[in-house]
Amino acid sequence: MFSPKPMSRLLIVASKEHIDPVIAELYRHNVFHIEDFIESGNEELKGVKIGNPSKGVDKTSSDLVRIRSIASTFNVTENDALGLQRAQNNVLRERIVQDLPQIAKEVEELLSKRSRLDSSIKDYEQRIELLKPFTGSPVPMDMLRGYDTISVIAGTFTGVFNLEVPHEEYSYSHKGTTFIILAVRTNDLATVEKYLLDIQFHKIAIPVEDGSPQEIIYQYEQEIASLKEKMDGVVKELEEIKEKQKDFLLASEELLSADVDRAEAPLRFATTDHAFAIEGWVPTENLTALHSDIEKITSGNVLISELDIDDPNNGPPVEYHNPDFAHPTELFIDVYSRPKYTEIDPSLIMAIVYPIMFGLILGDVGYGLILLIMSFGLRSLFHNEGGNQLLDVLRNCSISSIFFGIVFSEFLGFSLPWRPLWLSRHLNIGAGPEAHAIAEVSHIPELLVLSIWIGLFHITLGRILGARNAAKMDHGHHRQLAIYANIGWIMVMWGIVLLIWSFFAIPFMIDLTGLPGIVSGLNVASIAGAVILIVGIICIARENVLDLMEIPTIISNVLSYTRLIAVGLSSVAIAMVTNYISIGMIIEPNFELSVFGIVFFVVGIIVFLIGHTINTALGVIGGGLHPLRLHYVEFFTKFYRGGGKIYHPFGKVRKLTEIE
Amino acid sequence: MASGAETMAVEAAAQSIEVLASAAAAKGLTAIGAGLAVGLTGIGSGLGEMSIGAAAVGAVAEEKEMFGLALLFTVLPETIVIFGLVVALLLLFS
Repeated sequence: MFSPKPMSRLLIVASKEHIDPVIAELYRHNVFHIEDFIESGNEELKGVKIGNPSKGVDKTSSDLVRIRSIASTFNVTENDALGLQRAQNNVLRERIVQDLPQIAKEVEELLSKRSRLDSSIKDYEQRIELLKPFTGSPVPMDMLRGYDTISVIAGTFTGVFNLEVPHEEYSYSHKGTTFIILAVRTNDLATVEKYLLDIQFHKIAIPVEDGSPQEIIYQYEQEIASLKEKMDGVVKELEEIKEKQKDFLLASEELLSADVDRAEAPLRFATTDHAFAIEGWVPTENLTALHSDIEKITSGNVLISELDIDDPNNGPPVEYHNPDFAHPTELFIDVYSRPKYTEIDPSLIMAIVYPIMFGLILGDVGYGLILLIMSFGLRSLFHNEGGNQLLDVLRNCSISSIFFGIVFSEFLGFSLPWRPLWLSRHLNIGAGPEAHAIAEVSHIPELLVLSIWIGLFHITLGRILGARNAAKMDHGHHRQLAIYANIGWIMVMWGIVLLIWSFFAIPFMIDLTGLPGIVSGLNVASIAGAVILIVGIICIARENVLDLMEIPTIISNVLSYTRLIAVGLSSVAIAMVTNYISIGMIIEPNFELSVFGIVFFVVGIIVFLIGHTINTALGVIGGGLHPLRLHYVEFFTKFYRGGGKIYHPFGKVRKLTEIE
Repeated sequence: MASGAETMAVEAAAQSIEVLASAAAAKGLTAIGAGLAVGLTGIGSGLGEMSIGAAAVGAVAEEKEMFGLALLFTVLPETIVIFGLVVALLLLFS
C-alpha cells in the first residue's frame, strides 16, 4: 500500500535453441522487466556478447514501416480502434503477405496522382495571377511580344507619368497605383529605362500566352475546375481505401510491432555461441507462474535462478502497488518523480489529503457540481491513461468541493438556506445591512488558524515519513543521524509552537499564557518549548550544521498552508462580486416589464455567466495547483527522494490481435 | 445660560463627529494597508517568478520529465503573495 510491488531478480539461462520459445513466453506473460546486457571488457565475461536479432526481422520491420506510413497518411489512430473485433493472427499474416504490397502500391499511386494534380492546380492558379493585371489590355497577349524594332514593357508605378520619347501606352489606376503597358522603339529603350528608374517603376514580366487575357483566364479556370473534380475523385478513393483497410492496418500494426519487439529482444540478452542469459525483474506475485511456464516450454532444459538484490534502493524497477482509490494520484507522483523501491509511496496519503485541500479552497456546491459534470462529460475526449487519471482526481476533488460547499453554505457565491455548519467565510460584499450582519459572523482568523493546524500536522507527518525513509534507506552512522535529524525538525517546529502558545492567546489554539510564571516572564510552557527547541537544534546540527540555516523555513512552510483559506476567500470574493454586479447592480434596479428592463436582464445574465465561468476556471487552477504545490514543496521535501526506475515489462497488451 | 447648554451640546456633537471621522479614516487606512500588502507582494512574487518561469519553460522544452521540478521551482516565490494576502485578510477581518 505504502510501498511498491515487491520484485524478484531473475536470471534465465538456456541453450540457444530455446531462445524463441522463451522470448515468446516472456512476451505473453508481459511481466518481465529486462535488464539490458551491456558488453564490458570484464575478463570473466570474455566471449559473452549481446545477441543477434532473429532472422526475418528486416522484412517484418520494413512491412511495419510501410503499414505505419500508410496509417499516418490516412491519419488512422488508436481511437479508430475502439470497438474493433480481434483479428485472427494467421489470417492477418496471410493478408500482410498477399494484400499489403497491393494496398501500398494503390495508395502510393493515388498519392502521387494527388500531388501531380495539386501541383497542376497550383501552376494554373499562378498563371491566372500573373495574367490578372493584363485583363484590360486592348490587344491579345501574343501581340505584346515578337517585334524586331519595338519593345513592350509592363509594370506599375505611383505618381505622374510623363515620358518624352514617342510611345504608345495603355494604363489604368487602382488605389493610387497605375498599371501601364508601354510600347517604345527599341532604339529609345535606354532613355526609357532610365526614366522608368527615376519614377521607381516596378516591372512586371509579360506572360507568354496567346489570345485575350480574359479568355485565357476563363480557360484556365475551367481547367482548374476539372482538375479539382479529379482530385475529389482521388480523395474519395483514398477515403474508401481507408474505410476498407482501417481495421487491417491497425491490427497488422499491432501484430508486426509485437513481432519486431520479440525479434529484437536478443539485442538485450547476453549470449555465447551456444547459450543465452537473460537478467531481469518480475513482480514476486507473478514469479511462480512465469517460472513453471518457462520450464514447461523448454521441457526443463533451462536454469532459472532468483538472484540476491544488490542495491535495493536503486536496483529494482518500481511499479505502484496501491488500492484503486489511490491510482489517480499516481499521476501526480510520476510528474514529480517515481519513488525509489525502498521508500514510502505517498500516493494514498495524497489521494486522501489532496481532495480535502481542494475542497477547502473551492468549497462551493455550485462549482463542485459543475466540475463533477465536467469530470464525467470530458471522459469521452480522453482515451489515454493519464487523462482518465486526471479526470478521476477532478471527480474526487469536486465531491470534496460539494461537501465543503454544504459546510460553508455556499452555492455560486450565494448562501444556501442554512447557516454555515461550522465556520463561515461569507464576505461583506454588496454593502447592504443583511450583508453586514453576515460579515459580522464570518470566522476568517479562525479559518486561517485551522489551516495552520493542517500545516503543522502535514509537515509533522512528512518528517515522520522522512525518519522512516532514513531508517529503511540509509546505512551505518549516517542512518542514525538522519533519523534523529528528522525527529529534531519535528521538535524544533513544536518547540516554536509551544513558545508562541505560552506568549500569545490565539483562537482555536491551546492557550498557555495563564500558566504560572517561573523566571522573568517565562512560564512552564515557554521553558519546555525552549528546551524542546534547543534539543531539536542539536539533533539537526549533528547531521549537518549547515541545515540550521533552514530553520526559518519552518515558519514560512507552516504559514504557507494559510493559502488554503486565502486562495479560497479570493474565489468566494470573485463569486460574490459577480453576483452583486450582475444581480444587485444590473438586474434588480431595472427590473420591470419593458424593453429597457429586458435588455438589462439579458446583460445581467451575460455578466453572471462570464463571471462564474472565469471563476470556475480560476477555481480549478487555484484549487488544483495550490494543494499540488503544498504537496510538492512543503510535504515532499521533508521525506521524498524519488528517482526510481520505472517498471517496463517486456510484452504488450493485445487489443486487436490474438495472444500468441 | 441657555447659550452655555447650547455650546455644550454643539461641543458634544462635534466630538462625536470627530470620533466617527477618525474611525472612518482608520478603516480607510486599513484598507489601503491591505491593498498595499497584496499589491506589493504580488509584484515581488511576479519579479521572482519571471526569470524562474522562463528558465523552467526552457528546461521542460528540453526534457519533459523536468515538469514536476520546474513547476516546483516556479511556484516557490508565490508564498510571498500568499503572505501578503493573509496579512490583508487579518487587517480586514480581525
